[in-house]
Amino acid sequence: MFSRPPARRLAAVLTAAPLALVLAACGAGADAAEPAASASPTTAATTVTIEDNHGTVEVPLDPQRVVALDNHVFETLSAWDVPLVAAPKGVMGSGIWPAYTENEDVLDVGTHREPNLESIIAAEPDLIIGGYRFGDHYDDIVAQNPDATVIEIAPRDGEDVADELVRQVEILGQVFQREDDAAQLVEAFETAVADAAAAYDGTSTVVGLITSGGEISYSAPVTGRSIGPVFPTLGLVPAIEQAAEDTSHGDDIGVEAIAAANPDWIIVLDRDGAGVGEGDYRPATELIGASPALTSVTAVAQDQVIYLDPNFYLTEDIQAYTALYEQIAQAFAAA
Amino acid sequence: MTTLTTAPAPTAARTWQRSGGLLAAALLTLALVVTSLFVGVYDLGAQGGDAMFWITRVPRTLALVLAGSAMAVSGLVLQQLTQNRFVEATTAGTSEWAALGLLLSVILLPTVGLATRMVVASAAAFVGTMVFLVVLRRVQVRTTLVVPVVGLMLGAVVSALTTLIAVRTNYLQLLGTWFMGSFTTVVRGQYEVLWVVAAVCVAIFVLADRLTVAGLGRDVATNLGLSYDRVLLVGTAMVAVASGVTTVVVGFLPFLGLVVPNVVSLLRGDDLRSNLPWVCLGGVALVTACDILGRVVRMPFEIPVGMILGVVGAAGFLLLVLRVRRRG
Repeated sequence: MFSRPPARRLAAVLTAAPLALVLAACGAGADAAEPAASASPTTAATTVTIEDNHGTVEVPLDPQRVVALDNHVFETLSAWDVPLVAAPKGVMGSGIWPAYTENEDVLDVGTHREPNLESIIAAEPDLIIGGYRFGDHYDDIVAQNPDATVIEIAPRDGEDVADELVRQVEILGQVFQREDDAAQLVEAFETAVADAAAAYDGTSTVVGLITSGGEISYSAPVTGRSIGPVFPTLGLVPAIEQAAEDTSHGDDIGVEAIAAANPDWIIVLDRDGAGVGEGDYRPATELIGASPALTSVTAVAQDQVIYLDPNFYLTEDIQAYTALYEQIAQAFAAA
Repeated sequence: MTTLTTAPAPTAARTWQRSGGLLAAALLTLALVVTSLFVGVYDLGAQGGDAMFWITRVPRTLALVLAGSAMAVSGLVLQQLTQNRFVEATTAGTSEWAALGLLLSVILLPTVGLATRMVVASAAAFVGTMVFLVVLRRVQVRTTLVVPVVGLMLGAVVSALTTLIAVRTNYLQLLGTWFMGSFTTVVRGQYEVLWVVAAVCVAIFVLADRLTVAGLGRDVATNLGLSYDRVLLVGTAMVAVASGVTTVVVGFLPFLGLVVPNVVSLLRGDDLRSNLPWVCLGGVALVTACDILGRVVRMPFEIPVGMILGVVGAAGFLLLVLRVRRRG
C-alpha cells in the first residue's frame, strides 16, 4: 500500500477533498432547513471511506452517475443493475454486458489505446472507477473531472490476486450498499478455490498458455495474465519454471518446449476467442489439442487440457475466477 | 594472388578461388542448416524424438532455407530494377502492402484458407511495388538516398492505413503477432506453401541475365533489344510473390534483402549471375544463424528472428560499410 507514488495519492486526496466539502455543505444546508431531522438516526452518512490503490478516499454512497473503466467491475455492476453513464465499449467485447455496450445512452470511452477521455467529462459522473487497462490515464482523468471522485480498485501488482479480487468486490459492496451481495460473491469464490485446492493431487505439473493469432505463448506462474495467479492460489507445481518477460501477453514459446516439459495439465486462455480475431482465427483447441507435436504430452493424451472461457480475457473478475476454479476443481476431481 | 607471375595463371587461380570460395560458403551454410536441425528444446534422443524431428525441426529448417533465400534474392532483384543499392522489400513498401493485403483478406474473407490469403497478400505487394516504381519514375532527383526514402515514405503511409484499419476492427494486438518475423509456429502442415518461393528463386536464376541488363536502365536495356517493361513486370511480380508468401507464413524479415546482396557486392563486385548463388547462400546462412541464436538465448523460450535480424543485420551492415569505406 505504501509503494504508491505519493504524488498520486495526494492528487486523489485533493480531488476527494473539495467534493467532501461540497457534500458536507449540502448536508449542513439540509440540517439547517430541518433541524429536527439532524438528530434522527435516518440521516445516514452520504459518503463512505474506502482504501483504493492510491490511499484513503471519500466516496459518495450509492452514486447515481457512474463511469466504470476497469473490466473487473462490469460483471458485478451489471448484476447489481448499476447504470453507467460512460464505459470503454472497445474493450468490453460484444454480448457480454449488453446493458452497457448496446445502450446508446452509455457514452463510449473507446479503448485504452485510443481513449476518448472527453466522453467521461461529458457524462458528468459522480464516481469514476478507473484503473487496470486505463491505469495510465489516471492523472488525466483526475485533472479533467474535478467534480467526480476517482477510484482505482483493480488488483495491484505484486499482491495476491485472490485477495485483491475479494478486496475489490468488497469495496464495490460498500460503495453501492450491497455488502450482502458482495459477501455472497466472496463466499462462492472462496468455496471454488477451496474445492479446486482440495481436488489437486499436489504433485501433477501444470503449464499455463495463451494463444493468439495462431501462436502459443507461455503464461508464467504467479505473474502471467489470467492463468498465472492460479498457481500460487492453488499451490500448483509449474511444469516450466521461468520468469516472464511479457506478463500480459505471454512469451514466445515453441511446441517443442511444451512437449519437452511434458505437463500433466495445461490451462489455456484463448485470447482471440473473445470476439476479436474471428478471421484467421485458429482456436486453442486446434493449436494445442490437435497439434501433432503435442499428441504424446500427458495433458493432451489424457485429455487434461483446461480451456478458459474465451471471455476471460475481457472479464478477469471475481465471477470469472470463481467459474475457472469450479472448472479446475471439476477437471481435477474427474482425473 | 600478387605472387603469381604468368598471365593466364591469375585468371585460373581466381576461378579456382571463386568456386572454392563458393564451396566453402555452401559448406558453412550447410553446417548452419544441420545445426538448426539439432538445436531445440526437445531431446531428440528421448522417446518421441524421432517424430519431433519430422514435426518441428525439418519443417522449420526448410522454412528458414526457403524464406531466407527468397527474401535475399528478391532484395537483389529490386536493387537491379530500381538501380539502387538500398532498396529491398521492407524499404520499398512491398512488405507493408503485403501486410495490408493480409489484414484485408482476414477482415473481408474470414473463412478462406492460407492459399487465398497468400494470393491476396502477393497481389497487394505487387500493386504496392508498381506504385513505388511509378512514383519513382516521376521523381526527378534520384540520388542513392532519395529512392529508399520514397519507398520508406510510401511504406509508412500504407502501414499507417493498416494500423488504422486494425484499430477500427480490433486487430491491433494481432498485427504485432502476425508480422513479427518468427519461425516458432512453423511446424508440419504450416509451412508447405513456402515452396512457392522456391519456384520464384528458380525463375530469378533463369532470368538473371535479363535482370542484369534491365539494371543498366531503360535506355540501355531497350537499345540492347530487351523488352524493359516486361522484365520490370515479371521481376516485380516475382518479388511480390516472395514477399507476400513470406509475410503470410513468417512475417517481416527486415534487412535480409538489403544486407545480403550488398555484402556480396562489396566482397565480389557486381555480377548478378555469378552473385546469385552467393546471395542465396548468404540469405539462408544469415536467417538460420539468427534463428538459432533466437532459439538458444532464452531457452526454452524463443526470441523472434525478426528482432535479432534487425539488430544483427543493421550492426553487421554498418560495420562492413565503414570498413570498406576506410580501405577506399
